[in-house]
Amino acid sequence: MADDSLASHRRDPIKSSVGNVAAQRRRQNAATVGKERRESLVRAKRLCRVGATGEGDVLVEENHMMTDEEGFLLEDQTSSAVKELKSAVVYQGKGAMQKRVNALRELRRLLSKSEFPPVEAALKAGAIPLLVQCLSFGSPDEQLLEAAWCLTNIAAGKPEETKALLPALPLLIAHLGEKSSLPVAEQCAWALGNVAGEGEELRKVLLSQGALPPLARMVLPNKGSTVRTAAWALSNLIKGPDPKAATELIKVDGVLDAILRHLRKSDEELATEVAWVVVYLSALSNFATGVLVKSDALQPLVERLATSNSLQLLIPVLRSLGNLVAGDSHTTSTVLIPGHEITDGVIKVLVKCLKSDHRVLKKEASWVLSNIAAGSIEHKQLIYSSEAVPLLLRLLSTAPFDIRKEVAYVLGNLCVAPATGEGKPDLIKENLVSLVQRGCLSGFIDLVRSADIEAARLGLQFTELVLRGMPNGDGPKLVEQEDGIDAMERYQFHENEDLRNMANGLVDKYFGEDYGVNE
Amino acid sequence: MEWNAETLQYLSQCFLHTLSPQPEPRRRAESSLSEAADRPNYGLAVLRLVAEPSVDEQIRQAAAVNFKNHLKTRWVPSNDPNAGSTFSPILDPEKDQIKALIVSLMLSSTSRIQSQLSEALAVIGKHDFPKSWPTLLPELISNLQKAAQSSDYASINGILGTANSIFKKFRYQYKTNDLFIDLKYCLDNFAAPLLEIFLKTASLIDSTAAAPGGGSLVTLRPLFESQRLCCRIFFSLNFQELPEFFEDHMREWMGEFRKYLTTNYPSVESSSDGLALVDELRAAVCENISLYMEKNEEEFQGYLNEFASAVWSLLTNVSQSSSRDKLAVTAMKFLTTVSTSVHHTLFAAEGVLQQICQSIVIPNVRLRDEDEELFEMNYIEFIRRDMEGSDLDTRRRIACELLKGIATNYKKQVIDIVSVQIQNLLSSFATNPSANWKDKDCAIYLVVSLATKKAGGTSVSTDLVDVQSFFLSVIVPELQSQDVNGFPMLKAGSLKFFTTFRGLIQKPVAFQLFPDLVRFLGAESNVVHSYAASCIEKLLLVKDEGGKARYTSADITPFVPALMNNLFNALKFPESEENQYIMKCILRVLAVADISSEIAGPCIVGLTSILNEVCKNPKNPIFNHYLFESVAILVRRACERDGSLITAFEARLFPSLQTILATDVTEFLPYAFQLLAQLVELNKPPISPSYMQIFVLLLSPDSWRRSSNVPALVRLLQAFLQKAPHEVNQEGRLTQVLGIFNMLVSSGSTDEQGFYVLNTVIENLEYGVISPYMGNIWNVLFMRLQNNRTVKFQKSLVIFMSLFLVKHGAQNLVDTMNAVQANIFLVILEQFWIPNLKLITGVIELKLTAVASTRLICESPVLLDAAAARVWGKMLDSIVTLLSRPEQDRVEEEPEMPDIAENVGYTATFVKLYNAGKKEDDPLTDVKDPKQFLVASLAKLSAVTPGRYPQMINENLEPANQTALLQLCTAYNCQIV
Repeated sequence: MADDSLASHRRDPIKSSVGNVAAQRRRQNAATVGKERRESLVRAKRLCRVGATGEGDVLVEENHMMTDEEGFLLEDQTSSAVKELKSAVVYQGKGAMQKRVNALRELRRLLSKSEFPPVEAALKAGAIPLLVQCLSFGSPDEQLLEAAWCLTNIAAGKPEETKALLPALPLLIAHLGEKSSLPVAEQCAWALGNVAGEGEELRKVLLSQGALPPLARMVLPNKGSTVRTAAWALSNLIKGPDPKAATELIKVDGVLDAILRHLRKSDEELATEVAWVVVYLSALSNFATGVLVKSDALQPLVERLATSNSLQLLIPVLRSLGNLVAGDSHTTSTVLIPGHEITDGVIKVLVKCLKSDHRVLKKEASWVLSNIAAGSIEHKQLIYSSEAVPLLLRLLSTAPFDIRKEVAYVLGNLCVAPATGEGKPDLIKENLVSLVQRGCLSGFIDLVRSADIEAARLGLQFTELVLRGMPNGDGPKLVEQEDGIDAMERYQFHENEDLRNMANGLVDKYFGEDYGVNE
Repeated sequence: MEWNAETLQYLSQCFLHTLSPQPEPRRRAESSLSEAADRPNYGLAVLRLVAEPSVDEQIRQAAAVNFKNHLKTRWVPSNDPNAGSTFSPILDPEKDQIKALIVSLMLSSTSRIQSQLSEALAVIGKHDFPKSWPTLLPELISNLQKAAQSSDYASINGILGTANSIFKKFRYQYKTNDLFIDLKYCLDNFAAPLLEIFLKTASLIDSTAAAPGGGSLVTLRPLFESQRLCCRIFFSLNFQELPEFFEDHMREWMGEFRKYLTTNYPSVESSSDGLALVDELRAAVCENISLYMEKNEEEFQGYLNEFASAVWSLLTNVSQSSSRDKLAVTAMKFLTTVSTSVHHTLFAAEGVLQQICQSIVIPNVRLRDEDEELFEMNYIEFIRRDMEGSDLDTRRRIACELLKGIATNYKKQVIDIVSVQIQNLLSSFATNPSANWKDKDCAIYLVVSLATKKAGGTSVSTDLVDVQSFFLSVIVPELQSQDVNGFPMLKAGSLKFFTTFRGLIQKPVAFQLFPDLVRFLGAESNVVHSYAASCIEKLLLVKDEGGKARYTSADITPFVPALMNNLFNALKFPESEENQYIMKCILRVLAVADISSEIAGPCIVGLTSILNEVCKNPKNPIFNHYLFESVAILVRRACERDGSLITAFEARLFPSLQTILATDVTEFLPYAFQLLAQLVELNKPPISPSYMQIFVLLLSPDSWRRSSNVPALVRLLQAFLQKAPHEVNQEGRLTQVLGIFNMLVSSGSTDEQGFYVLNTVIENLEYGVISPYMGNIWNVLFMRLQNNRTVKFQKSLVIFMSLFLVKHGAQNLVDTMNAVQANIFLVILEQFWIPNLKLITGVIELKLTAVASTRLICESPVLLDAAAARVWGKMLDSIVTLLSRPEQDRVEEEPEMPDIAENVGYTATFVKLYNAGKKEDDPLTDVKDPKQFLVASLAKLSAVTPGRYPQMINENLEPANQTALLQLCTAYNCQIV
């Protein structure tokens, strides 16, 4: 793995003090076991049912559930269409070209007819070698287009079916070049996007065959469906987990400018695809993250968040923003300077997201805030005095678990001063006192009771702050009122040594019976 | 160790003898084996023996156990520096061979051997899996698939059991990249085969259960067991976060889960054994759905309603039954999780709370036969669960947790319903107290368990009832009951209530009941007299506002004779001979009451006779600790009142202490030395000759070999040095003391103790006495400095030099050091004193070193010499840093180096006796403020040669320190001219 990939979690090891809550957190783990979520609105593979350039000649039957019979019929028709294509390919006589195009078009129609195209039948009948042959150099555009379209829909199938495209990849990539017509290049990009969406292994193949530079050049123009398709294909191609592709992409001449331009000016659809590209760039490559931050990528992201109401767009834009904040400390320290317009803008859009009804937006916005809250005292005060705090406090007591956990990181970070290099970070008493007075402690004690060990640790760390930091020694009283002693006592024999020691230590220190108390 | 017929024969014989009832051959065999265990390939040979079908089964079993234990201590990475020298680790080639053999061996062995080998495999897995054992998982999977084809459930369950134990680490470790790489590897390989076997077994269960007769327990047992293991593995693999595979196949998993919660298997469940079997599976399912409910509620919510109602109706049945604990507990935990989640509205519907309370909570809180049995048969365990929070998994406690969970969103409703329930229970009791006493117990339990705990366990609060009136009407009648042995569980519950709410019960009310508490110390039930003791003990700790004790010595003194009498008598009840609650109460009473000689007499008699008894076989360390603390506090407080009592105490205690020393009761030695130190300190010189015998023992290097003794011995030695300095200087004893210092200071783990000894010598003896030894002492210290200079050692050295200086003057310090090697003083000063001075912590230490350093630069000709100007300046710089900056700015926390001390088997540990403690002595009582001392000394010095020192300060002090020094001068109105 390239060396710029693993700076991902900056969480410091945490001892009994809460101090290190103020470590930045970044989503991307080198190993993920959860499902990848593009929040299921954008699928990694896409079927092409209407021509990319709108010239579809198939009657698309929306929401039509095929009966079994229709299904069998379709499969039969597909097998014969492939046979037809085979004879057209060998045929060398007059009108050979038209015959080939017709056969391809028929196969493409069948593959575009339903939501569940007869891919298996086409593969069984031996479609791939024929289609590869139809992609050979010098073939007329119409033929190339139809062949690529067929491949696109085959690639949209199951994993094994997508893999069947392997022999076609070099030619599909070759047709991305400047010499190809736009429709052909776009269709090829679409097919490749589906292949890249399948998984890491195929992505590696595509990258080694040089798919990235020509795809990258396709996003340079100002508009058009080609740009959109290419951006989508790129977002699939750079998904990693190896960050090399992302780093390579940002280095391609003009790509950075194009990305910024699209984020600023393009329609929402294109901006959405480009935002997904930015998501993966910033999640994987520290180099790309640095470049984006230095090029003011924050500005257009914030504007989009402020002006758009499209969830499809807001999700990748918000996540990009979060990655830029978490991925590069430069973002918080030199771009998001309190007092600058951009900083107020960021807080404002995050507040907007916190208010949204959508769970993902709330969670991601809290996550971004938690990283900003890990910044300087001024950052903490900025958030503290913003509209975010009342929202966060409400979420801490009412939101689902995953959001509560993120929110707790924000509130926790607001209460500890940044580590100054030497010694433990101090707590910020005013914030702690006021947040506790506004009722946040019970939310943290709930986290202590959680089965999730990170959440439990955070809960314990905040509890420690309260015990140590509330004036007049009020901490213990407050903690006990929230039944915190009981919550901590659950860790008496916990298998996680760190949690066990932390909880037992707090109980002993603050609630232990004074031994020989009458001295 | 080579594998041949001879080895086989030899090992078989050894293992056979380890099973011998005769101690002689058994011990011989054990020691032969432990010797053989150090040879390479021993583990491999034992494993081969286990696999040898010709060998008798019981020998192979013994070998399997030995093999597992062998691995536990020796399967450590061969390059691990912390592995310790005790056991030679198994070498890599042998490890590889063991790993190649163990899976197939485990699967082909009989169940007893299989379980041992499975544990052994888990031990290996803990270190090696997956990175250093890439073949394990594929091997398990291919065996699993083979076994599945032939429905060989002995093997299937063996494999699943193994997988379960190696995956457990995913349940409690923090999310780290490494952990996730391991987890992903396990998921990629095992998630699909797991689902496959789970579904296969499920359909086998379905078809077997659907057949006429519903299948026998014998057929179904391995199947249910298999499903339970699958569920436990599911739990481990899903613990960190929801894996993609499990999300994609949630429907399949949840479908089966629900089936097990809602289906009855009459042919199996008709026996209690079979019911327990199915219940274990159900409990595992409940844990899984609780996990999903808590962490993946969004993905799980589609299944929530059906599971909530399934669990509810299951619980309604289970709650009526008296066994089925585990299932009841896990099922209630699931409902608790739902009640505190965003989906708590499931509980909002009309009548739901009422039903939960009536058909789930109350039945589970009611005493069951098992509780009564535990109360009678194992009082310690009962108290641990009932009083000390080890009841996290009891039905009673979890039922209350469920109520608390619901109350997070429906507090008022819960309070209303429970209050009514409590009234109902109490009126049911009132109609027929002897038949319905459990209703009252249930009511008391609810009130106590639903209360919120408060600091120090001294008080709690509750919204459920009015504590005062509940206490008067419900609890007091029980406590005033004349029969201390009637309805003991109800008495125990009432005492627990009193203890729990002690802060809320007004003094006059509580005080009136004091004689009753004393009376209950005489109850036959161990729980009851323990609770009575505990209640008294806790009452004596109650503080009023402002931190003043609510119950004073004046309050309790009239009761003390009766109280002490009953306490000592209670220790005579069967099984209460070492009752820690009673001993703790004795300690507390001795800490509060006036210790007149009338009380001290019987107490010391009682305590020493107990001490003599426990010396024979120390069992309960907590009891023993309180016992020694009681002795210590009795001696201390009684002698404070009447110093002449010391002789009586000595007369009583000496025989006991001598027994401990003479028979080497390891656990008690540190206590004995601390008590002796206390006695020595209370003595007036000349010290009685009987102590001098002990002094001799103290000076024998043998006494110091055990590290647990060292802190207590140091303390005792200090006491002797202070009280009997002359005796120390006789018969070559000082040489012996310094020999001990030498031994302690040479090792990094005891060097601080060594300095304590040395400092005590320096502080208490005349210079004339110690001066002949100084050369030797310096040599020892410089040697250590050369070999192993830790920061801790250097700081201790600076403190020692400072102490020497203030006691015996700068000139003696410089001269004795330079006598060892010319000019070494300045070298030590520059390299060690100056840089470490600013790291000194502790009020006394700081003052000592600051004053000594000040005197050095103001009095010592070596430093006042013009040639030493730079060193002079640096020293002052360091002093100013020490005095002007807060501790956290000058001292970086040094990571404690773990001591790699020799650990030879079991060692007693040192526990400090609080009440025999020593007050820290300030060797410099005449200087109050080291800052003032510094500037005043400087002012005086500079006045002699005006102009000289400001320049030196200017040249050598950091600017910040120059400012700080100036501020100090202003603050104390002194001038450096």
